[in-house]
Amino acid sequence: MDHHFRAFSFVDRIVSVQPGVKICGSYNIPPNIEAFPVALVAEAVGQLAAWATMAAVDFERRPVAGLARPIELQDEVHPGQKLDPSVELETAHAEAAAYRGTATVNGKPVIQLQHCVGPMMPVKDFDDPNALRLRFELLCGRGAEPGAFQGVPPLSIEPTNGQPGKRLSAGFQVPSSAPLFADHFPRRPVFPGSLLMHLNLELAAALALQIPAPAQATRWRLATISDVKLRTFISPGERLECEARLSESSNDCALVAVETRKANKLIGGARVRLAPENHP
Amino acid sequence: MTNTNTTQDEIMAVFPKVAETMADALGCEVERVKLDASLIDDLGAESIDFLDIVFRLERAFKVKIPRGKILEEARGDLSESEFDKGGVVSEAGVERLKSFLSEVPPERFKNPLNVADIPRLFTTETFCKMVIRQQARSGGTGAAASKPV
Repeated sequence: MDHHFRAFSFVDRIVSVQPGVKICGSYNIPPNIEAFPVALVAEAVGQLAAWATMAAVDFERRPVAGLARPIELQDEVHPGQKLDPSVELETAHAEAAAYRGTATVNGKPVIQLQHCVGPMMPVKDFDDPNALRLRFELLCGRGAEPGAFQGVPPLSIEPTNGQPGKRLSAGFQVPSSAPLFADHFPRRPVFPGSLLMHLNLELAAALALQIPAPAQATRWRLATISDVKLRTFISPGERLECEARLSESSNDCALVAVETRKANKLIGGARVRLAPENHP
Repeated sequence: MTNTNTTQDEIMAVFPKVAETMADALGCEVERVKLDASLIDDLGAESIDFLDIVFRLERAFKVKIPRGKILEEARGDLSESEFDKGGVVSEAGVERLKSFLSEVPPERFKNPLNVADIPRLFTTETFCKMVIRQQARSGGTGAAASKPV
């Protein structure tokens, strides 16, 4: 099967676009997958932003994951739902694209990205520019056939050590091969930053379970992820070490710093804000 | 002669906020962000950090920092081909850079100097001057003028 524009693509249709300015789209989450993590909702918004940016520079350059802050995690999404993402570009030039975006389900916001920055890189290093142009035309026209995504590939994170309620470390082996690499990207397989974000959130959630619940609440929930920074590409087969560390806590919120290292070199980081369950 | 006659008062007026912004971007203690600290060699900044710092400075100071501007301004009236050849900065280009980046000790200008290595010269003060120049262009606030540095 050709996984290009299928295995890791989360825009079925571009509803409206002003290249380099703003874009609205839609994505039908396949009903037959196990889950659609919130990090992939952020990925969908980012992919929509990428289309608007690439269209503005005639598909010569494309943004890659770089910086994000903050991302408000407003609600879960579920298989079978229709996602309506929209993006406003703050800047789109040869060096970087900056944007903010949201996604809604049935008009209800599920995620809000306040300020994301993606370094721009030559499209030809990642994909065929003409294939992207044709895909863009399809998305702006009748749209793509939904249902291609088969779900998040198995990602096994192995806890290594920690201090309960304070710190949690885990190792992660990036798969050497997976259908998603044929789509992200055909000419240069890269482990998606959004899947790293997913792993970071999972680790933060695991640590949150160990942190004593705040007063008047039963547990902590993931509220915001901010100061997301990805320093380098992650290739198939690489070994990563992730660590979540509680940096602050009060009755109103707790802050967890997450760092990812590759061969002891810091390659990514983020801060996760936890809020008491059922509190804004 | 310095670029645009940025004064020491102006630099010190913006330095605390520039340092705090850079510390936030780099995830380091603000005390490490000294005025003469080299972003790459002293503070370990990578290319993504440069992007992060510039966007944060834009928001903190409410200015727009045009990309590539610093090299264009450093070149001054030298044409691109006079400034560098094949990615190596010419002698005239190095002299122009030394004048423009007057905050950088002359011994840090390698010979030959590759265009790609110019960001290695940047210090916190370089970014302070960048902010001041953009504030002046947009009619923003700055410290009262005093003797040029």
